[in-house]
Amino acid sequence: MRGFLRIVLLVSILSAAGTVWAQTGYVGSNVCKTCHADIWFNFYKNPHYRSIASGSEPPERTGCEGCHGPGKAHVEARGGKSTIPHAFSLMTPRQVMEDCLTCHASNFDKANIRRSEHTLADVACNSCHSIHHSPTPKYLLAKVQKDLCYGCHADIRSQFEMPSHHRVNEGFMNCTDCHNPHGVFAATWRMADRPRMVSQALTNEEACLKCHVDKRGPFVFEHPPVRIDGCETCHYPHGSMNGRLLRRPVVFTLCLECHNGGGNGTRNSGVDIQSATHNLLDPKYQRCTTCHVRIHGSNIDVYFLR
Amino acid sequence: MRARFCFLILAAGILQAQQVVAPTPDAVGSPRGENTGDYNITNSFETGYRWSIVNGDAGMYRSDVNYGNGLRLLGSSLTVDSRDGHGHYFDEILLNTIGLGNDPYQAATLRVRKNGLYEYDMTWRLDDFYNPGLDISGGAHLMNTSRRIQDHDFTLFPNGAFQLDLGYSRNTQNGPALTTAQEFDTRSSAFPVFENVHRQWNEYRLGVRANFAGFTFIARHTWDYYKDDPVDTFSGQEVAGTQNDLGALTQFQRTQPFHGSTPGWLGNLFTHRKLWALNARMTYTGGTGDFALDEMATGTSRFGAAANRQIVVTGNGGRPNLAGDFSVSFFPKQNLTIVNNSSVHDLRIAGDNYYTEFDNGTGLATTFAFEFLGVRTIANDTDINYRLKDWIGFFAGYTYSERQIRQTDASALPSIPGTAFSDSYVSENHLNAARLGIRLRPLKPLTVTLEGELGRNNKPLAPISEDNYHTLNARVQYRTRHLQLSTEYRQIYNLNAPLSLSYYTSHSRTYSGSGSWSPRDWFSIDATYNKLHLDTLGSLEFFAGVLGPQLQTGYDSLYISNIHAGDVGVRFAVSKRADLYVGYSITKDVGDGRSSAVPPGTTDPVQALLSSVQTFPLTYQSPLARLSIRISPKVRWNAGYQFYGYGELFHLLGYNQNYNANTGYTSLLWSF
Repeated sequence: MRGFLRIVLLVSILSAAGTVWAQTGYVGSNVCKTCHADIWFNFYKNPHYRSIASGSEPPERTGCEGCHGPGKAHVEARGGKSTIPHAFSLMTPRQVMEDCLTCHASNFDKANIRRSEHTLADVACNSCHSIHHSPTPKYLLAKVQKDLCYGCHADIRSQFEMPSHHRVNEGFMNCTDCHNPHGVFAATWRMADRPRMVSQALTNEEACLKCHVDKRGPFVFEHPPVRIDGCETCHYPHGSMNGRLLRRPVVFTLCLECHNGGGNGTRNSGVDIQSATHNLLDPKYQRCTTCHVRIHGSNIDVYFLR
Repeated sequence: MRARFCFLILAAGILQAQQVVAPTPDAVGSPRGENTGDYNITNSFETGYRWSIVNGDAGMYRSDVNYGNGLRLLGSSLTVDSRDGHGHYFDEILLNTIGLGNDPYQAATLRVRKNGLYEYDMTWRLDDFYNPGLDISGGAHLMNTSRRIQDHDFTLFPNGAFQLDLGYSRNTQNGPALTTAQEFDTRSSAFPVFENVHRQWNEYRLGVRANFAGFTFIARHTWDYYKDDPVDTFSGQEVAGTQNDLGALTQFQRTQPFHGSTPGWLGNLFTHRKLWALNARMTYTGGTGDFALDEMATGTSRFGAAANRQIVVTGNGGRPNLAGDFSVSFFPKQNLTIVNNSSVHDLRIAGDNYYTEFDNGTGLATTFAFEFLGVRTIANDTDINYRLKDWIGFFAGYTYSERQIRQTDASALPSIPGTAFSDSYVSENHLNAARLGIRLRPLKPLTVTLEGELGRNNKPLAPISEDNYHTLNARVQYRTRHLQLSTEYRQIYNLNAPLSLSYYTSHSRTYSGSGSWSPRDWFSIDATYNKLHLDTLGSLEFFAGVLGPQLQTGYDSLYISNIHAGDVGVRFAVSKRADLYVGYSITKDVGDGRSSAVPPGTTDPVQALLSSVQTFPLTYQSPLARLSIRISPKVRWNAGYQFYGYGELFHLLGYNQNYNANTGYTSLLWSF
């Protein structure tokens, strides 16, 4: 009985939309809601509803058919995924991305989507976004952001569960504070090849500096690896078993692994070795940053002492 | 269908990573909200009491977790949506908060939007930031500060042919800290002094976006101001307390203001066509900073003589920073994408200072010092993405990057014999890296991705920089509506040898597996296991000796980390009246399996010191349980408990930071 009523209602609506149907194959969202009432019922909360509300968009950019294509064949066949011109669950990742970019290509944050690691790995828009069943209305994500990212990046998830970590699980931060999942411009640190998904903060600088502005400088005496190879030289960005997200449990091994005369350094003569006056067996010399307090850069002292 | 919709919303809240116990992620009430006039409103508040009992090192607990006691607005959510998309002043209001009331991590996000006219987004966050004190973690400094971050973005005519963007961001950090000052000579001990941190950063943004002829053009100007006005003080009697050092500090006063501004420009032009796309960006920021330091210290030198010292420094620094990118994409066929990206980055940091020191021995000394650091990087990379069939695709890439580093010193460096003032250095290196990957989808829910990268850097900056490296990555994922399985292997090997004076190797291997299963709407389980292995070996060159510092060149820095990390979360729902969530996470570094920090039989004191920090076995675990009971269709009562246990097997440099903490909460969640 319910199915019969739907068909009667559908036929009535289609009669009214007959002219459009005949010419373009577009039937209008009112036809779709006959069967897909559950989606339609809350669709006014969806950002894509704007295309319907504006009333001025052409049929190919309006409502359901704006994304799924003309619905004539689907209606005539009385449903079925294969009759939907753009059924996203049946499309290749490339096709999904192309469809979404029809409208979203002009967004600044998607300007690099072609060279994104996600695109190369076939992670398309609907891998993360759920247009009709999103619990997060702001960006229509399929899950809360961190859980979405952890779904694939289990190793990163474990790093955020280490004792020293950025406060993502606590809700203070999101992955997108540092990353752009849609791709980024070439990094302005290291050799510009990687990382390929870390956003640049403050127009063109390393993402860390957006929050840690005191490390930004400019300093008269820069600690070169901070500027040249980036914060990751000494810190893990997500989480660490060591305090302050450091790569080593104690500071002196972290420092000495570079300050051993090796590498190239900025003077073509290796990275300076430790001072001859420092006896490493003396505990005070095992805590380098007790004296070298301005290790990220100093305006006063070439050895970062103040 | 409606039931399925509600379940999906619920499932989204269920299948989540190990988390803090509150706020409660479960929803109550109708997700459809209430209609008022032309608007639909949904609202929820979760208010309750959070508690914690800490045993052991409270400082370390505060550094890792930091939840305390007290009443909280643990979470709230408000949405107001116009039902026809034609609201009078707005079409959408969205407000979410967590932790308000005194939690260490608080956040609020607000969006107000009117279709086609404006959009306003605001984020406000607070982080109570804590670092343990001086005598632990090898000399790090205590911080007990609050960081507040807010971002405001207002867009006029969003997504229109012409769009105007206004923005404001603010970042402040305030509070007490404990730092150190090394006084009277460069070989003396450092004394702890109190610091009042006061940092403030403000950024104002104005931008336009215009669409024309299929192109999008974005221009943005930023005004950026930063100031740091710390005040350090000490009064009393602080002795050095180290061997052969009679030094003492009795009075200390330091002010060290730094004020800077970094105006910036960004221009971006991009288009997306059927067969090609183009993306060009140019940014410029011109940072400047003015600083001063006035420091006065009175006390005793390390030889026991009365000493006083005053240092005055003034100066300024500049940092023009230019970055440009030009990316061209081609899509000659539906299954082929070729992207070429060229980028250039030029960073120049130049600063000078005037250093004046007064002391009771030498009188007056004035030094002018400046330093220049310039980094210029030019890179080009090409990515090819080819889908041979629906079930198989390939991708490949090649990067060439060239970097020039210039440095000019106005300080003689005693550690480098023969250096003189105003020595200039130029260093150049280049990187060649190639990537290759394959994607397989033999079944619709099954995807397999294999990829590898090989890189060669001819002159790495530091011994630990990437030189001769390769990465391998394999990922298998199986996804259906109720079951998700994923496994991954990642390997990063870096070999930095042979160098003339040193060597360095780093092997990192990650194994991970995760699964989520939600067979019924009343039951779901989510589990993850990771093994993170890292071993590094690097040569060392340093000074040490029982009788005095001697050059040591025969020792290595070995570091071995073997981390097993796992978590599991299970959710049960009982007759739609109650939800029970039980979770457990553990992160355990087993190191290299040794039972004592220094292997028995080690008699060499230098080797004993190095051995003691080669590995750092540690267990960090956190079981939690949360019960949420629906009292009425609009009210839930929640209670939860979470335990945090931190246990080091070896106590680094003799300090025990272990703790365990019992935390929990009870709350009411009211929704409509």
